[in-house]
Amino acid sequence: MDWLERELKGALAREEPPEDFASRVMRRASAPVRPVYRWPRWLAAAAAVIVLAGAGLGYRQYRGEMAKEQLMQAFKIASVKVNRIQSAVEGIGK
Amino acid sequence: MIELQNLPETALDFADLVREHQSMVFSVCWHFLHDRDQAEDVAQEVFLGLHRNMASIQSAAHAGHWLRKVAVQRAIDAGRRRARRPQVALEDVAEPVAHTPVRDPMLAEMLRRLIATLPETPRMAMILRYQEDLDPAEIGQAMDMPVATVKSHLQRSLALLREKLARRGVREEKWTG
Repeated sequence: MDWLERELKGALAREEPPEDFASRVMRRASAPVRPVYRWPRWLAAAAAVIVLAGAGLGYRQYRGEMAKEQLMQAFKIASVKVNRIQSAVEGIGK
Repeated sequence: MIELQNLPETALDFADLVREHQSMVFSVCWHFLHDRDQAEDVAQEVFLGLHRNMASIQSAAHAGHWLRKVAVQRAIDAGRRRARRPQVALEDVAEPVAHTPVRDPMLAEMLRRLIATLPETPRMAMILRYQEDLDPAEIGQAMDMPVATVKSHLQRSLALLREKLARRGVREEKWTG
């Protein structure tokens, strides 16, 4: 063991904890353990599935309504164009 | 008549184990974490863990090994949670005044600070080697590590410390005066 190792032994010598350390450990060890209520895992998983399924259904409904709106808009545009063509054709006949 | 069985675990008194091993557990945490409050918290948790596992402890020696191993693990975990490894930056280590003989307490403090800058695995290996006077095989058991790896960490750490001390003008001849 050289000088550095001897110094290291001195520098890293054991130190005593605070005087009341042992008594505090004993107090904590003898304290009654409070039961911690935890939600069952299956319940958390079921809740997650329900939320995801609900979100999925909601999104599908939203997409359906958007498609319906677009279709109605397309029908309206087509109807206006058909009316104009009809008027034009009737004008040629006269 | 009921014959009393001399079960080993019943012979172990938790309070005695705390008193016997408190300085070892506390010092491992303190030298590793460099934070007295945190070291005390971790050391308390180690003993509370022992209290919960008293049924599986077979002897006083077993309790000592158990405490050392758990103290090592808990101190490393606490250091990781703290997420700022060298609590004392190397640059903050006090430089000795040139041509002034290095005094023992000053060198000891410098060594503790330099060890605090080592990565966690070699730092813990050095603490177990020089605080607990363990040989590499025992350190390997406490840290779940091959003996060759422990030896390598110790050698590299010593070389690094020598280099850093030399850069600060601390050499054997100065120390010995």
